[in-house]
Amino acid sequence: MTNEEIKDLILEIIEEIDDEAEFDDLNPDAPLRDQLDLDSMDFLDIVMELRKRHQLQIPEEDYPQLATLNSCVTYLSPLLKDV
Amino acid sequence: MKVPLIIIGGGLSGLAAGIRCSRYCDNVLILEKHSRLGGLNSYYYRNKQLFETGLHAVTNFAEKKDKKAPLNRLLRQLRIKRDQLNICPQITSEIRFPETSLRFSNDFELLREQIHEKFPSICNNFDILLQKINKIDPFSPTPFISARKFLDETLQEPLLTDMLLCPLMYYGSSVENDMDLGQFVIMFAAIFKEGMFRPAGTIKDFIHTLSNLYTKQGGQIRKNCGVKQIIIQNNNITGVELDSGTIIECDHLLSTIGHHETLSLINDESETGSACSKRLGFIETIYQLPQKTSAHLPKNTTIIFYNNSSNFRYQKSSDYADYSSGVICFPQNFTGLKDVDSIEVRSTHLASYSKWKTISIDRENYLAQKKHVALNSSRTLEKLIGKFHHNTVYSDTFTPLTIERYTSKIEGAIYGSPSKVKDGHLGYNNLFLAGTDQGFLGIIGSMLSGVSIVNRHILPKL
Repeated sequence: MTNEEIKDLILEIIEEIDDEAEFDDLNPDAPLRDQLDLDSMDFLDIVMELRKRHQLQIPEEDYPQLATLNSCVTYLSPLLKDV
Repeated sequence: MKVPLIIIGGGLSGLAAGIRCSRYCDNVLILEKHSRLGGLNSYYYRNKQLFETGLHAVTNFAEKKDKKAPLNRLLRQLRIKRDQLNICPQITSEIRFPETSLRFSNDFELLREQIHEKFPSICNNFDILLQKINKIDPFSPTPFISARKFLDETLQEPLLTDMLLCPLMYYGSSVENDMDLGQFVIMFAAIFKEGMFRPAGTIKDFIHTLSNLYTKQGGQIRKNCGVKQIIIQNNNITGVELDSGTIIECDHLLSTIGHHETLSLINDESETGSACSKRLGFIETIYQLPQKTSAHLPKNTTIIFYNNSSNFRYQKSSDYADYSSGVICFPQNFTGLKDVDSIEVRSTHLASYSKWKTISIDRENYLAQKKHVALNSSRTLEKLIGKFHHNTVYSDTFTPLTIERYTSKIEGAIYGSPSKVKDGHLGYNNLFLAGTDQGFLGIIGSMLSGVSIVNRHILPKL
């Protein structure tokens, strides 16, 4: 997956969790949770969806690396490079 | 047969947990002892009409835009569209005591105004109370702190303490005459700050929405399927044995049937005896009336929480019913419900389980006593809302025994054990508790309990 595809994947997952999420002014370097009013329960869904769709097992200690859109890309790109 | 997760209990917490897990994992299995789903919130048919059990009003009302509100968080977690529920907000509700009454609605300002009007000398104390409540984290694990003491100290007005506690106790306290402070803060938000509503459809429709979603995702349900025992090896649950003798193995087990109810399936009944003694039993009567006879009954009141004694009691009753306080519900008085030909009035009081248990040996006496209580309850209600009993076309009374029979809650105690297991841990590696005895109450609370316990303990491991 390219970086853009990874971003799209994350946004698609978030949109499925909350179909009213607004992405227009999203700062890719600021925490997703604050910007989108997500809580820890929603956040778990991002992890669970990545596992469901791409069989990625993300250990709990790595969750902070999914905090921003850009950090998601950094963390996920090696894991999704062959997808 | 082996499955990754067995959920014991097809009530609302079990269904919510099932929806979460079946989304990410195949072959989740819900075992329900009865022929119907819903647990404490279910339904039955009489005279070809559907009657709801349990549901008066759903607490935790929230506007759509309030994303962090429990209701909206829950719906996101279950991927249920809010519009699908057709949310009908309460009109207003009332706390009625001999000295005065307080009205409240889904606009918290009404309650604040009412308190300023009725308790002018201590209205600042109420504002201080609100500030203090905002600073409390109800989810931090602490030993029992008395909400009554906290309220008395802050408000300096015992009458207002009782009046604020009355609805919160009746809608979710398993403790006599008091509540845990954390529980109080949760219930205060759920009932006063957020408010109440009901779906436009019946509880049957709601249960159907949940079970449909669950089975569509691949979840399985077995009804009429009681569990005889939970099988344990070295502190690990390996599976369950059904009443039929069949054994189903599992990696994880979630029980939603209550703390001691669960322990009794592990043959660990060490605590069961002592825990029973303080359980609170309730009695509820439905009076069905032709709509045309109800013109004089309240139209703008959804629920009345009343006390007519000089000393408000919320404690184990020593009688078939304690009429000195209770709840009166008008299930048709929600905004947006369609007019119907017949309406209902519902009454709830505390009741003695042991009294009903004793009299039930003689079926005729038991039935006569039920009728007697229905009549007495209506007389108490009529003093508050006007005459209606003579117009009743159908009425039915659920005693603590009825509730025990259909929900398998020990002593029919709808709010479960007085002590709660907040972290869901029962001392075994792969067995967790959700639902009433985890400490989240009400429909939204019990479903959030199912969701949060599986999110925390089970989903990451499935």
